[in-house]
Amino acid sequence: MNQWLDDRLHISRLNDKFLRKAFPVHHSFFLGEITLFSLIILILTGILLALSYEPSNSMVVNSFDPGTADAPNLVPAAYHSALKINAAPFGDMLRRIHHWTANIMVAAAVIHMMRVYFTGAFKKPREINWWIGMLLLIFSALTAVTGYVLPYDNYAYNTLKVIYSIAASIPWVGEWVAQAAFAGKFPGDGVIPRVYGYHIMLLPGILLALTGAHMLLMIKQKHTQPQYAKRVAYKKIVGVPLMTQQTPIMLMLTLLFAGIIVLFSAFIPVHPVEYFGPPSTTPIDNIKPDWYLLWVFGVLAIIPGIEFDFLGGNINSEFIGAILLPTLAIGAMFAVPMLDRSRENLYYAENPTNHPVRLGIGVAFMMLLAVWSVAGYKPELISSGILSTENANTVLWIATFLIPALSYFFVQAVVRGIRSLREADERDRTTHAAHADD
Amino acid sequence: MTRYKRQDPEITRRKFINVAMGTTAAVGGVSLLSALGSANPVFRLTADKMPPLEGDILVHAEESKEGRPIALADLSDQLVRAWPMGKDENGADVIRKGDPNNILALYRFPAGEIVAPTNLEATVDGQVVAYSDVCTHAGCSVSDSDINAGEMRCPCHSGQFAPKRGAVVIGGPPPKPLAQLPIRQDGERLVVAGFFLTPPYPYHNNEAEWDNLKQEVEEALA
Repeated sequence: MNQWLDDRLHISRLNDKFLRKAFPVHHSFFLGEITLFSLIILILTGILLALSYEPSNSMVVNSFDPGTADAPNLVPAAYHSALKINAAPFGDMLRRIHHWTANIMVAAAVIHMMRVYFTGAFKKPREINWWIGMLLLIFSALTAVTGYVLPYDNYAYNTLKVIYSIAASIPWVGEWVAQAAFAGKFPGDGVIPRVYGYHIMLLPGILLALTGAHMLLMIKQKHTQPQYAKRVAYKKIVGVPLMTQQTPIMLMLTLLFAGIIVLFSAFIPVHPVEYFGPPSTTPIDNIKPDWYLLWVFGVLAIIPGIEFDFLGGNINSEFIGAILLPTLAIGAMFAVPMLDRSRENLYYAENPTNHPVRLGIGVAFMMLLAVWSVAGYKPELISSGILSTENANTVLWIATFLIPALSYFFVQAVVRGIRSLREADERDRTTHAAHADD
Repeated sequence: MTRYKRQDPEITRRKFINVAMGTTAAVGGVSLLSALGSANPVFRLTADKMPPLEGDILVHAEESKEGRPIALADLSDQLVRAWPMGKDENGADVIRKGDPNNILALYRFPAGEIVAPTNLEATVDGQVVAYSDVCTHAGCSVSDSDINAGEMRCPCHSGQFAPKRGAVVIGGPPPKPLAQLPIRQDGERLVVAGFFLTPPYPYHNNEAEWDNLKQEVEEALA
């Protein structure tokens, strides 16, 4: 059969060209693959969920608790279908797998970016792929947020309201943008169909296209080589071919990863829609976004109530906290490859300790996001007595500047320590070598 | 020998094609802007989406007793959520919950505890006061504070308000106090005495738009 196919499709050429492609081996190089596997699991479970989900926020009678003929118990159709999915065999499990995988995909993508940043893999010639990666991160977050809204329980409803008001806080065009994005004044009759369209068509389409571009560029430009490859064969590609060495490694990783996700989903429930109930006037105590957006939430919690008019547009704390500051943070990440001045093409992943400033800034940036994420727990910090209403903002703002600065200098100190150890090793080796010559 | 000498064309073929394609793309692209019209549906001001109006009865918003008129005895220093209930064009009762920003917060404090900047004229005997329950920051529904009794706290971003002092902001990011709604007592019932005294969320930073809405409502009712 191989011969038959080969005569028609020239499989052997594909084999030579692509399937023998060498993959460099290093454990940190699997993070991107985990992100890709997550995307595949998300698409598969997402298709299954879409088969039973009803994208509508019109009110229907809750078949689980119909009420009376005079006073029927009406719930949004989307929420009702989420209840039905939960009641179906394996339905709740599907929702949990989808939810957990989404979280893990963002986590893997973030750690993958950290690997790329700290080893300098974003440098020439791979700047474009860093930018595509940034877009992937942004669109992953948007996909996750729109997915959050779909069960349309009270939690999703409150989240959507905040998202709407963030969009509406853009000066000059905000209200129009919010209405155009979410099908009219909140909550528009078409809001769930609209968000559903984003979540299952528009955003996954963008994600898939960007993922394809990301892979193609990686293949075209070659992956950065691990440091040991320099010793094995200088400026040659060292790695294992896709067929048949890399494939079993990937398969093993996929199965292990899928197994861990199923294990998580089996024992740790996520987003119990029954608990939150359908949209209502009762707010949810201590509502929080997912962890990867907690920093934006934290900024909103500690930003003072600023508001001023500028050229006829209204600039308020919500716009500054939820749009301006995150845009600056993301802009800084976009600018990373442009700050690098090297002219040479990069072949080998760099040792982070050889670039202490880059390492320090990266750690400081992550600490900044961590401080802001902690600020997202401001109400809990206050009610547990660690902070008081009066000093919470001051303490958290001081931490915003102090902790990143401290961690920068801490990193410099650690790097200096590591370097002096390495130099001592080097000296030892040369003296020993000298002795051996005697 | 040719009779005609070949003249250089005024524009090159390449340039012509580029300009033609550019124009086509631009015209086609601009025409797609019409799709934005379908993205943003028209807003129709129906009775259930109107803001609280003079004469509206305040009814419970809590699910178990939704639609039941609120009596003075139901109120305390703990927040009670209410919807305004008015009439639609056929004269039938309609709870104005089509706009979720119509949700109201009601308090009843002992006489003398409510002070300026609360508008005491707009309260019932200086004891019962009604505010918009929608945080002026991100539009979440504000609750009683679980940290300091007698204060309100928004669960979304910890905006805090003082309901005894005109719901001024005492902490967190909200830019404006909650809008106060004038109310009066009518027998056992609480009745709305007019529009919000200041623009409520989401008009809190756009007085002109709030005035437009009021005008639109008055025209619709006339």
